[in-house]
Amino acid sequence: MSSGEPDRPDVIIRVIARMLLGPTLMVAAALVAKGYAEVGDGFGAGVAVALAIALTYVALGGARAEAALPVLRHGPKLAVGGLLLALATGFFPLLLGEPPVSHRPAPGEHVVKVGTLELFTPLVFDIGVFLLVVGVLIVLLHHLAGRDGRDGS
Amino acid sequence: MILSVALLVPWATGAVLVALDGRRRAVGWLAVAVLAATFALLAVLTAQVLAGGSQEVVTGGWPPGVGIVLHADMLGVVFALLSVLVLLAATTHEVLAGIEERVFPGLVLLLAGGLTGLFLTGDVFNFYVFFELAMTASYVLTAYGGGRRQLRAAMVFTAVNLLGSFIFLLSVAGTYRVTGTLAMLDVGERMAVVDPNAALLIATGFFIAFSVKLGLFPFHFWLPTVYAGSSPAVAAILSGAVANIGAYGLLRFGPTMFPAQLRLVGAAIVVLGAVSLIYGAVLAVARGDVAESLAYSAIGQVGYVLVALGVGGPVGLTAAVVYSVVNALNKTLLFLAAGIRGPLVAGAFAVGALSVAGVPPAAGFVGKLEMFRAGIVVGSVPLIVLLTLGSGLSLVYMFQMYQRAFWRAPAPAGPASPLPLRLLTTAVALLVLAAGVWPEPLLAASGRAAEGLLPGAAG
Repeated sequence: MSSGEPDRPDVIIRVIARMLLGPTLMVAAALVAKGYAEVGDGFGAGVAVALAIALTYVALGGARAEAALPVLRHGPKLAVGGLLLALATGFFPLLLGEPPVSHRPAPGEHVVKVGTLELFTPLVFDIGVFLLVVGVLIVLLHHLAGRDGRDGS
Repeated sequence: MILSVALLVPWATGAVLVALDGRRRAVGWLAVAVLAATFALLAVLTAQVLAGGSQEVVTGGWPPGVGIVLHADMLGVVFALLSVLVLLAATTHEVLAGIEERVFPGLVLLLAGGLTGLFLTGDVFNFYVFFELAMTASYVLTAYGGGRRQLRAAMVFTAVNLLGSFIFLLSVAGTYRVTGTLAMLDVGERMAVVDPNAALLIATGFFIAFSVKLGLFPFHFWLPTVYAGSSPAVAAILSGAVANIGAYGLLRFGPTMFPAQLRLVGAAIVVLGAVSLIYGAVLAVARGDVAESLAYSAIGQVGYVLVALGVGGPVGLTAAVVYSVVNALNKTLLFLAAGIRGPLVAGAFAVGALSVAGVPPAAGFVGKLEMFRAGIVVGSVPLIVLLTLGSGLSLVYMFQMYQRAFWRAPAPAGPASPLPLRLLTTAVALLVLAAGVWPEPLLAASGRAAEGLLPGAAG
């Protein structure tokens, strides 16, 4: 803490919090992309991003963090949208008369690849889980930061 | 197909409804409609299971052992139907009374999704996932109303049950460690050859986790605060729907996965059930507050389920299923009726009281009858004395409560509750009466459910 402003975190934390967000999103994307052959999944990616967002809340306080990143005001929408996306990917096979969580292209069929990223329905499922985790944790952070009483000052 | 849809409907609509403002009438009624639709789907599923035996869906079309198995047998569908019915009654009650918090309808639907899922899964880990979904929803529901008492109840409920869930998860990990599988049927087969000490330890872990959910005697300490502190509809949901997890878990995990361990400690389980029964009844007699007496009565009533489980065999298990169903209906009726006032309500409460005491026209009589049958089959005099004593005590505390709530000066009770609320409670009371007057469907379904649990049953 700097002696002049005892209520605000150090400038280093604020700068790091802002700079860390971009790389974290890249790491999250990598976690989702390699999740099918190696360690990683939408849940882990979501937690990683939420950690970076938590640091932003710590560094800037609730109101400033949400002013800097307006997406943080849409936590509930992210969570519900993610859950619905995941449920839709899980249960759409019912419409085709297949058991739930069957995926397309089916095992053994040709999969379109972009680099190492395989384009198939489990990818959508993981993105849904990612959004759900990020959304729920943003809602929690928002409420925790709101109790602070000092934010925005 | 219906099995998967019954899972999807409450889950997906619950996700949408948590985002909407549940204080609006339309949202509340939508939740009621979805619960009714889920109930209808489960009823069709029950009919199919009755006609064609248990159903199975392996997710993803993978071979069994790789894919996760959804499994609908008689025991599962009976508990799923019962829980959704209780949620339907409690939610309708709350919508009629006016919902106070925006998330209530969405959470009830997520709870319904979680409960349906855990009753219809054939996989221990999947059970845990749905269990957590249901529990997380009920943690938030317990705080419904937002007063000091509710928050305190929610804190206690969450703290204790998180501990219970943790013990459950440890046991799941242990099961995988010693058997290498989490499919319930395979676990049952392989548990016979693992180290008996390890198996007993794991079985004890599961037993403690489910006893915490049920509020059985040594693990009951959280229950009175929570049931007496939460709002009537939530208390009905907790005691009529969420507590079913414990009863179902004991019935499902005990006889199918740990038959040897269950035989080994059968007598201890009967004793534990008996202690719970007497302790709950005696404290219910001693308490002044209606909600608190009902909470202690709940501790006593689950004692019967445990006694029946300890007795085991077709008769004991049937009695356990019948008693769980009857008890859930009784508690729903009593908690809902205790929260309102006016004509018809006293009658509805009296039906619930008679049912708990086991007096003939009400469903409780059927439950008690099955318990006595179980006692006679094992030829145990102490057990029959115990059941008689328990019934006597429940008659005393139920009518103490009735007297206190409805006979003493009506002045402080305030104006009568709206007519639709009273009619709903009356409808639940009529259901309890109907189950007592025409018990064949319940008995047949419970008998089939118990058959499915015994070793050598096909699926």
